[in-house]
Amino acid sequence: MNGDILDIRGLGKKYPGVEALKEVSLTIRGDSVHCVVGENGAGKSTFIKILTRAEERTGGTILFKGREFRPRSIREAMNLGISTLFQELNVVDQLTVEQNLLLGREDTLLGVIRRPDRNRRLYQILKDFAPDIPLHRRVGELSFAEKQVIEIVKAVAAEASLLIMDEPTAALSQKEAGRLFELIRGLKQQHITVIYISHILDDIFAIGDYVTVFRDGAIIGTARVADIDRPALIRMMIGKTVAEGYVPRKVDRQEVGLEVEGLCTAKLREVSFRLHRGEILGFYGLRGAGKSEIAQALYGLDKILAGSIRLGGRPVRFAIPRDGLRRGVSLVPEERLAEGLILKLPLRPNVSISNPGKISRLGVVNGRRERAAVERYVRELSIKVTGIEQRAGTLSGGNQQKVVIAKCLNADATVLLMDEPSRGIDVGAKEEIHGLIRDLAAQGAGVIIFSSEYQEILNLCDRILLVADGRIIKELSNSEASAEELLHAVTQTKRLKP
Amino acid sequence: MRSNSGLWQKLVLLGVLALIGTVLSILSREFLTVTNLINVTRQVAFVVITGSAVTLLMISGNFDLSIGSILGLSGMFFAYFIPLGLPLGVSLAAATLVGTAIGLLNGFLVVTLRIPSIIATLGTMYAARGLALVITGGNSIHLGLGTNFTVLGRGLVGPLPITLLLTVGILLLFYFFETRTILGRYSYAIGGNRRTALLSGVNVNATTTLLYVLVGTLAGFSGVLMASRLGVGQPMVGQGFEFDVIVAVILGGTSLEGGEGSVIGMLIGAFIVGFIANGLNLLGIHSFYQSILKGAVLVGAVLLDRVLKERLRG
Ligand SMILES: Nc1ncnc2c1ncn2[C@@H]1O[C@H](COP(=O)(O)OP(=O)(O)OP(=O)(O)O)[C@@H](O)[C@H]1O
Ligand SMILES: [Mg+2]
Repeated sequence: MNGDILDIRGLGKKYPGVEALKEVSLTIRGDSVHCVVGENGAGKSTFIKILTRAEERTGGTILFKGREFRPRSIREAMNLGISTLFQELNVVDQLTVEQNLLLGREDTLLGVIRRPDRNRRLYQILKDFAPDIPLHRRVGELSFAEKQVIEIVKAVAAEASLLIMDEPTAALSQKEAGRLFELIRGLKQQHITVIYISHILDDIFAIGDYVTVFRDGAIIGTARVADIDRPALIRMMIGKTVAEGYVPRKVDRQEVGLEVEGLCTAKLREVSFRLHRGEILGFYGLRGAGKSEIAQALYGLDKILAGSIRLGGRPVRFAIPRDGLRRGVSLVPEERLAEGLILKLPLRPNVSISNPGKISRLGVVNGRRERAAVERYVRELSIKVTGIEQRAGTLSGGNQQKVVIAKCLNADATVLLMDEPSRGIDVGAKEEIHGLIRDLAAQGAGVIIFSSEYQEILNLCDRILLVADGRIIKELSNSEASAEELLHAVTQTKRLKP
Repeated sequence: MRSNSGLWQKLVLLGVLALIGTVLSILSREFLTVTNLINVTRQVAFVVITGSAVTLLMISGNFDLSIGSILGLSGMFFAYFIPLGLPLGVSLAAATLVGTAIGLLNGFLVVTLRIPSIIATLGTMYAARGLALVITGGNSIHLGLGTNFTVLGRGLVGPLPITLLLTVGILLLFYFFETRTILGRYSYAIGGNRRTALLSGVNVNATTTLLYVLVGTLAGFSGVLMASRLGVGQPMVGQGFEFDVIVAVILGGTSLEGGEGSVIGMLIGAFIVGFIANGLNLLGIHSFYQSILKGAVLVGAVLLDRVLKERLRG
């Protein structure tokens, strides 16, 4: 497709109390990768939801391939040629790859294939994109990245001419992301235009042709990726530059906060380490290396088979997270939707729940104290909300993540376990949160960051432990570590595995 | 949790209640009389007492089918203890504690043995009813109950029935639990997202068990009041009671998945159920038809609830 595939004029979306999109006008060129970036709550996801008709616009016109685009349902939008790769994937774990690909396609009837040639095309597409995914494997056994590929194959087979991706690499390893980029380049050749949303700016420079910046529901500008650099893009996004990078800190390694010795669970083998007070410790490893399992074992979620945990010198073993919280250990879990939030409830109880002692006496809540505590975190983390009574489910992805972090901070813990803490958070806010973590450490807390994003580990952590295959394989101080070193070390052991 | 959509929902429910009241007062002259309204309130009281606890339980995403049987069993025990020579207060407390015990058993089955709540409480529903029949040999107990037996159910304080005062007290207590206490918070959290609640430091097992115990206790207490009102211990009392309560709770905006709902909504729901039952009686409509109508009201209410929620959430 040459020329513009999408022409959007004066697009608006109002929610009660918020104008999520204000008069947005934008053209998207065919056969391009068009990136969309912006602060948390800027309106990116809302923009996508309107294109896929998951939400109804309140104003404006959209021309798709030169024709007025007004689908009445998600399905109709899909049939017109706009497919989406959502963050929550739409695959059925219990079915095989083949069954997933065929799911919902009219050319099978009661399992009998009516038009084998079309299905053959589907298999061909899968082969082109991912020759190593077997058709008869159950999808539940595939990695997240492989599941994504299946969704992309479905979109290509559905003859989509516009494929939208909302933060697709947020949960991918470096290597998997690289493979996704290759796949996206392949899509371009098949004349499929991609709209790509991400907070990971490196992605944009890796595959973008154009980049559009959203702020406060409006478009700040659009540029060719070739004409812009990282600092300029950040300035467009948040109106100022941010200092990214490690801030050298003096950690006085006198007092040990947490001491773990020979910890074994179903997934972990002989994990031993020490976390000092005032220290920010990083666990780096690929997805599936066992980082989250370490966090879960420490937090009383997984069964401990052997080993010991000492907190401030005394042995502890938490049966449930409540025990940990009471002893000053809190966690930011990896999956914000499944484990971090109660979407139906307002932001207020979502934050205050982790520390009942702070807001209640004899089980009775003091409303004023609760509001004060929660409002403090809304301010400190600049959570974008209409008020503390806004339901968590209606917050933007990054702001939801901030709520989970606020809940963790609210516990007033001395040991903070943070599993992928800045997933989905914009560059500016990420630096602010890193600043807060440094402050907490300076006040004597011990913080452990579990991350598969090496840049975050390098920017934040004083000491880095590399994890692969359920064990700690190496320890580095920040000054010894480099991106190459980290990547090399964790992929090396992966290959050693039989 | 207080929120705008919750307020609207209650106003709409009140509107429905007022509409039903208006229609009934036009159709039947007896409906809007003091005697009749007191009569309705008396009926509704049992639903409200048990429903207060059931609301919290259902907000937490749990369910209890055994409340009707508990009501029967506790009422029967109340009448069973007195002729044995136990003092009134002791009999009352012991009979209520029978309900507590079954609540504890429900909690154990659901929390420790991880049996789905509908199945577990269906089991105790049959078992408790059976127990009541076994102990009385299927007969009612009306001999040797003495005059004080009926004080709770029929007595007055000034102009006001004791039952009514107790009902208001329990309702307010649970309204307080729901809106102002950690117990209320935890109930919403568990129903909203169990895993998140656990990770946020909620003792999910203990809280859930406590909710079953509260429900059992109040169902037992309702049974005592009911026996006192009837002046007899009957093992079959309270059949279908569980559905009246559950209908009231659901009408009041509590979702079956949990995470939302309110005691005040349940109160309005209980009156809607009460008005309809009472009105149909006054109009001389056979109870067979009443049953059909109750079913229709329940399904209609859930639909209305969904439409309202979708509208108000935008
Ligand atoms: N259903 C809703 N009701 C009320 N407000 C909403 C609703 N959905 C989104 N919003 C608001 O609209 C604004 C834009 O949200 P959107 O999800 O589009 O942001 P975003 O740019 O995708 O941010 P992020 O980078 O954090 O994902 C936010 O302020 C959000 O709170
Ligand atoms: Mg978003």
